[in-house]
Amino acid sequence: MATTKSPPSHSLQIHRLPQSQYIDAVRFLPAFSGLDRFAVLALFDTHSSSPSLQIHSLPKSTPPSLNLQSSHSLPKSTPPSLNLQSSLSLSSRVSSLSLSLSAHKPLIAASTFSGSLHILLLDFDASVQSEFSVPEKSLHVGAISCVDLQESGVECVSVGEDGRVNLVGFGDGSRLTYRRVWDSDGLVSYTAAKWASPTEFATGGFGFGLQWWDLRKPGGPVSQFKGNWAQRTTSGIVHSIDIHPSRKHTCLAGGSLGTVFAWDLRWQQQPIILSGVGTSEVATHSPCESEVWEVKYDPYMQTSNFGNVSSSRILPAMLCSEDGILAVVEQGEEPIELLAEPCAINSFDIDRQNPTDVICSLEWESIAILSRP
Amino acid sequence: MPGLTADSGNALVPLSPEAHVSVVYPLHHGLKPPISRLSISWSRGNALRVSVFRELPAESGDSDGEAGGKVVQVKLGVADGEVDDAQWRRIAYGSVSPFALLQSRRNSVLALSKMSMSSSPYHPDWWEYVMEYSKDISSLLDNAKSLPNSVIDDPKTVLKKVEEPTCLKAAWGLLEIFYADKESQAWLPEQIVDWLADYDILFSGTQATVHSKLVEFQKAIVRLQTIEDDPRYWEVITSALAVGWLEIVVKLLRLHGSYQLDQLSNRETENGLVEAVAILISKMPRMRPELEAGRLGECFKTKPDFIKAWEKWRAQITKLDCSSFWVQCDHRQTRDGLRNMLQVMLGNTNNLCTSTCHWIELYISHFLYVRPFTVGLESMHALAQKCIQLKPISSSHRLMGLIIGILGENTEVVLAECSRAFGPWMVAHAIELLTAGSDQAEIILQEERDNLGGISIEELHRLVYAQVLSSHALTWQIAPIYLTSCMKQGMGLLEVLLYKQPVQDNQMLLKTTEICRLYDLESISSSIMKIAGVYHWKHGRKGSGVFWLQQARDEFRLNRIAQQLFDFVGRSISDESFKQWEGLIELLGSESKIAGGLDFLHKYRDFKKSLQQVQVGKTTDAAQQAVESLISLMRNPSTPQRFWLPLLHDSLKLLSWQERPLLNVNQTNLLLNKLQELSMARLRPDFIEANLPPQALSSVRLALATNLGRAILEE
Repeated sequence: MATTKSPPSHSLQIHRLPQSQYIDAVRFLPAFSGLDRFAVLALFDTHSSSPSLQIHSLPKSTPPSLNLQSSHSLPKSTPPSLNLQSSLSLSSRVSSLSLSLSAHKPLIAASTFSGSLHILLLDFDASVQSEFSVPEKSLHVGAISCVDLQESGVECVSVGEDGRVNLVGFGDGSRLTYRRVWDSDGLVSYTAAKWASPTEFATGGFGFGLQWWDLRKPGGPVSQFKGNWAQRTTSGIVHSIDIHPSRKHTCLAGGSLGTVFAWDLRWQQQPIILSGVGTSEVATHSPCESEVWEVKYDPYMQTSNFGNVSSSRILPAMLCSEDGILAVVEQGEEPIELLAEPCAINSFDIDRQNPTDVICSLEWESIAILSRP
Repeated sequence: MPGLTADSGNALVPLSPEAHVSVVYPLHHGLKPPISRLSISWSRGNALRVSVFRELPAESGDSDGEAGGKVVQVKLGVADGEVDDAQWRRIAYGSVSPFALLQSRRNSVLALSKMSMSSSPYHPDWWEYVMEYSKDISSLLDNAKSLPNSVIDDPKTVLKKVEEPTCLKAAWGLLEIFYADKESQAWLPEQIVDWLADYDILFSGTQATVHSKLVEFQKAIVRLQTIEDDPRYWEVITSALAVGWLEIVVKLLRLHGSYQLDQLSNRETENGLVEAVAILISKMPRMRPELEAGRLGECFKTKPDFIKAWEKWRAQITKLDCSSFWVQCDHRQTRDGLRNMLQVMLGNTNNLCTSTCHWIELYISHFLYVRPFTVGLESMHALAQKCIQLKPISSSHRLMGLIIGILGENTEVVLAECSRAFGPWMVAHAIELLTAGSDQAEIILQEERDNLGGISIEELHRLVYAQVLSSHALTWQIAPIYLTSCMKQGMGLLEVLLYKQPVQDNQMLLKTTEICRLYDLESISSSIMKIAGVYHWKHGRKGSGVFWLQQARDEFRLNRIAQQLFDFVGRSISDESFKQWEGLIELLGSESKIAGGLDFLHKYRDFKKSLQQVQVGKTTDAAQQAVESLISLMRNPSTPQRFWLPLLHDSLKLLSWQERPLLNVNQTNLLLNKLQELSMARLRPDFIEANLPPQALSSVRLALATNLGRAILEE
């Protein structure tokens, strides 16, 4: 069960930190100061039924070059630890968490299951400088499924199962403004969203469907992707989308049945399937067969063979799944399994500044921090 | 019922009599009095849901702006002071893997033994698996944080500070020693000596122990000028010796004043005696395979070797005891103290009794100095009874009941003690050790009993533990591991558990269906998805409702909701709002078999699309395509009757196409027949009139007739 097979495990360091609270989501804070590194945890305390958002600092891992000669002679480098910096209690549990930098200060958007949206602007010492929120029932009916902040942090897109797509802006810095981009009136539900450019974003939903939106062309999605490739009897839900900043025409999606696929807008109806048990061609390569909760391009793997990657080839991606797998999948390659836990891995994030490091949240109330060689 | 307390009658879980103490839980409802009514019901786990209702003043109605009532949850705390809730959950999570591994090994071993038809059901190395399991579980019971070791080794620190161990770990350690660790059975007494060294601190809470004495003395030690003058020094040393903490004894002896350089010359004999005792102590023969580095004593693996060494060692002690040097020793306390220690080492029962505090310490000292090769639980039990008589216990400690149960070889008592003192987790996991202990215990625990509804004690306790897990929102997901290890009732309860899970949130729903997938419970998963589908449908999320019903392959409900959807379509589909429907129609798929009557929507959309193109481009090709869609829609039995006329009315333009007739004779006849059918249907009372201009029917009829005429001419 808890054995790691493929990676050179002697050099992959894994630390598990029990939290004694359920972790709804975890993210690294984008680096804004050279000294410290921070992680944001959305927690739920079952004992007091109180959800909260916590910012923890965690020491940066020592670069591998410094560690080489000391591997035998010196005791192991101190294991990473999470030190609570600030905490904010919320009224409802967090359904989605998105982070970005706005004017060199980190910005956190957290959506809740009751439908409220909270936007926090942090100061340089990771304390909360100001907090804005949109109350329940104004953006969505019921829960917000997913929020995504623009890279520059000017606007935030929110989607829900009620079929609404909203844009929340905080242009003047004193209050939030929001407008509805689309309302499908419950006929279509959206479960994931991701910005591609300042005017374009992608959403995902039931039946492995993806939608491409362009704010310059209002009145519905400009392009739709049908999920019913290959005559399949079972379908699934898209849980997570990622779009690489250098390849805005490709939309990477992860969802049910261990599925990870890429939709290239230039070849509309033919997805590139990276993993999944629903289709026969890649089923043997699939690292997992359950829900893929999150998928992200892996900048660490990219550096290894960046020279000969054509623009149609899908970059390596990391996924975490309900059956406890954290793995890297690459087109036409065997997947690399980083972690195989006896419980679900619900979310993960890769440190942008130091892509060797990965933080992930486990179903059994703990955080795992991985440091790749 | 054997194994459970006699007075509990037919109760499945023994109720401890201590539970009758009443506890007051303050309730913060924040309502203005008067409170007219209270309603109490069980919530999840051990929480009570209390609904408080106010009495509303009759004249003012509800106009005073106050809520009429409130619902409060009261968590009934049965908190174990030692292990808090979060820690219990951590233990529960951690024990899943070892438990599952042991179960799968048992299954494969059983399968193997069935194939080879061997007499013993278990592999000879089975206990090795059990031992591995026991070690894994034991490592979970450590306290989370360990104290940092002090870098500077203070010679006066005789007692190292350690994190206080838990009773839970101590209890598990005992079970491991007696039931799982088959390899070390020959060295059982030494195992118990080590056990007490680790856990003696646990008994300090209720009464004095050797450990508490040492702690006291440790505090005083810095203020003592000449340590050997203090009677407590000799008392503590003898006590530590009695329970076999040899390192501490030798360390304390070396603090003796005669070792100081300025006194060495005039206290030579005294120092010689102290050192002789210290050496004798550090050479004590121990019947065990090995000792950790830094521990004192000489190890002997086999009994003959040990007995030889033991006799020799005792002879040396006796020789020292009778030596003439004692007379030359002027320091009275040293002389008496050292000779007392020799008496302890010679196993003088009176000395052992006075130098120990707790009966278990006395018991251990017997193993060390009186009967080092005690074997057989029967004689161990008798010895324990004797020790208890000598040192009666004032208050019962939860570990004591367990020890006596184990020594009494009474599996039922051991289980009952585990259950009473440590709860369902302990029982469910300890049973694995007990069954490995002896065939007899295995029979008792695995025998199916009529008074338990045909299940075994083992299964009963697993079910109880699974119920505890199920009652918490975070641990219910691990309950299936335990339920599926229960042959008789497990699957049934698992189904109930899965049905009870909330379906509102997709993530939770998917976690539930994943468990269904793991245990091949397809019917459950499709029922749950049906429930979810209807829930989402009712809450206006039509798309996700349809998705879940499709996943559940529930054609019946899909057909039902199709009728509702058509009503909605008939009213709302204009050309502009079609975009809203696009996603849902994509979801339905084109050739999907499990769409129920909903595939009509797909065809309808195609027809509308081609009609739109006709309006824009007016090409005959596009028009021809639209006609094809129309005909296929009209041929399709799933097209609802009420759409026939609107469809035909929409296509008036096609029916009276300028260039040439687009429909051939057959097609026109088909449409005319449909129209005829429609006229007949109009006479029925349940007919729904389409929302069309009154002359619609006649204009369609006229167009069709014209088209028919033109088509006949053309052919």
